[in-house]
Amino acid sequence: MTISRCKSEISVAQIFPLLSVSIWDIEPDAVQRQLDGIAEKPQIGFARLTVSTGQVFSAGDQSLAVSTSEKSFDVPSPSRVNESIGKLEIYENPRAFYRELLYSVAIALVGYGVLTFLICALVIYVLKRELEYPLRHIAQFVSALTPDRLTAPLQLPRQAGHLRDEIDLVVDGFAVLQAGVTGYISNLDELVAQRTAELETAMASIQRLSTIDSLTGCFNRRLFNERIVQELERAERYGRPVSLVFCDIDHFKQVNDTYGHLLGDQVLQAVAGVFERYLRHEVDWVARYGGEEFVIVLPETALAEALTTGERLRKAIENDLQIAAEESLQVTASFGVAQHRPGEIAEQLIHDADLLLYQAKAAGRNRVFPVL
Amino acid sequence: MKRLVVAVIGLLLALPVMAMSVVFLNPGKSDEAFWLISARAMQQAAKSLDVQLEVLFAERQPLRTLELARGIIARPVNERPEYVIITNDYATGPALLRLFDATGIKVFMAYSGISEAADRVALGLPRERFKNWLGSLEPHAEDAGYLTAKKLIETGRKSGAVGADGKLHLMVIGGDRSTPTSIRRNAGMHRAISEAPDVVLDQEVFAGWTREKAAEQSVWLYQRYPGTRLIWAGNDLMAFGAMDSWEKRGGKAGVDAWFSGVNTSREALESVKSGRLSALAGGHFIAGAWSLVLIHDYHHGRDFVDEGLELEQPMFALFTPKLADRFLVKYGDMRFDQVDFRRFSKTLNPALKRYDFSFEQLLR
Repeated sequence: MTISRCKSEISVAQIFPLLSVSIWDIEPDAVQRQLDGIAEKPQIGFARLTVSTGQVFSAGDQSLAVSTSEKSFDVPSPSRVNESIGKLEIYENPRAFYRELLYSVAIALVGYGVLTFLICALVIYVLKRELEYPLRHIAQFVSALTPDRLTAPLQLPRQAGHLRDEIDLVVDGFAVLQAGVTGYISNLDELVAQRTAELETAMASIQRLSTIDSLTGCFNRRLFNERIVQELERAERYGRPVSLVFCDIDHFKQVNDTYGHLLGDQVLQAVAGVFERYLRHEVDWVARYGGEEFVIVLPETALAEALTTGERLRKAIENDLQIAAEESLQVTASFGVAQHRPGEIAEQLIHDADLLLYQAKAAGRNRVFPVL
Repeated sequence: MKRLVVAVIGLLLALPVMAMSVVFLNPGKSDEAFWLISARAMQQAAKSLDVQLEVLFAERQPLRTLELARGIIARPVNERPEYVIITNDYATGPALLRLFDATGIKVFMAYSGISEAADRVALGLPRERFKNWLGSLEPHAEDAGYLTAKKLIETGRKSGAVGADGKLHLMVIGGDRSTPTSIRRNAGMHRAISEAPDVVLDQEVFAGWTREKAAEQSVWLYQRYPGTRLIWAGNDLMAFGAMDSWEKRGGKAGVDAWFSGVNTSREALESVKSGRLSALAGGHFIAGAWSLVLIHDYHHGRDFVDEGLELEQPMFALFTPKLADRFLVKYGDMRFDQVDFRRFSKTLNPALKRYDFSFEQLLR
């Protein structure tokens, strides 16, 4: 009760200047309003003002004036010191004590409630900051991890200088895992490069095999068909001469029948060897066209020069060809030579040369046609 | 088109013969003697000068005054008055000026003008910031306080109404603390007291111009100052309130206590005649009628600018029993039919060089 009494004294003292002035200025309405204001305070039950000029004002519950203790104040004059212009009696309100008690308890409860709430909020905040955010970050990192970004390090936005904890262990684990996977992938790359090189070698070999006649080492007919087209195109484009020589070994069937296929093969190899020796390296080229037929392409060569070359080849076969197993064997060959005419396609040129070869055969073999 | 032209020409021809229109925003109550007689005098002035006058009573509610002003502004343009007379009672003047600004309605302030420094800063002078604010005419309110206090003190001296200290003690019941009229009346009263070294002012209270509150306050005062015999009041009603409570105590006004008041109510004038009221000043209700004369002359091309835009002029008459009797005879029924306000107009009397605003000329 002492607290409430203390409060009531303060409030009355505060209201005195206004009350004094209202009484002094004879403003009964204002006096009544202020008395009502005093009585409205929870600790105060009833207030009564007796003005020195005789008027009485009261506010609050008059029944309290009998039952409870009173406190009396002199209302000072606003202008003259030590002069009272009225007496204010204040009666306490006993209900206010219980109300105040209830109020205090409620305040305490609310206080504890707020405190509990704040602590919970703090715990949630710490958990979020220390666990949820790093974990979410790691999850995002993992979901965004692709082979090309494998080496990007996992970096968490954490405060510098924090204690090492399990989150850091997870981060380190990720670094180790990434290093392992990266190492494995780079090994794999080396292996692939090696295999690719082997494959390329094999492919080159296959390419070569597919264009070369395995017996004679000359180009095969398939390559001839491709390359002659390019050769003629080049000659057309630059207006250069190109000639074609058709060569057929004379009586090769008889050689085969008489001496066997093995020897026939040796004859073919020997003829190919002659071509190798007597033709311009890297310029002229030879393809095995059929069984004992060869076709020789002479770029940058007009008909006359081609005939000379043909003649040189005929002579070389006739005179220089040596077959070790059968020294008595005389091998000759017939030649048809044609120069490419502008606008002429490969088939026609081959046909021309073939026709001339036929004529050479018909004329008795071991000769070069045409004869100029 | 043709008809429109005819209508416009007709309107232009009709304009000069149409009476000028004025609304008076009366701050008082319609049954309040002062504001009623003010309105009556104005109506007679309007009649004399061929002015179309409309009086709206705000019943002493400042917010009502503003509402009435808004009502005027809300009227269709052709039904709006050309002039409005307002007062600065309850300090509504600035708000009213702002409301009417830009409506084209010309504003004239009567009875109370702008006196607060802050208002002056905000409003400037008439016809400056507020172009349609023509000016103001106020009774020299201090006169009322001075004349009545001086007369009251003289009466006290003659009656020997001195206290134990041999001095004349005087109590004051003022109107309110804020209205310029109230402040000036009290200032006049203070001036009269300062000129009388034998007079002590015991206390000054404010009864809000009402008879009831003055009666209540005076009860306290009589108890607080048992030796005081002179009671100065800011108006007639408060003087009567103080008289009522004095007589309730068994006293007799004008015999063992002396009272002064302001205003020309019938009861006040009768009391002057009977001697209950020792001093009475009044007649300033005529400020409204004079304002109409000024506006009339302004409207007809004779601006009052040469006399000043904010005029504060002596109007109060101190009523002797003889003057009180003459007033009651002439205007006791609040009728001013016999007064021809045309003779105060400069436009109608080119020989008239300066306005005379005193009320006493209407008692001759």
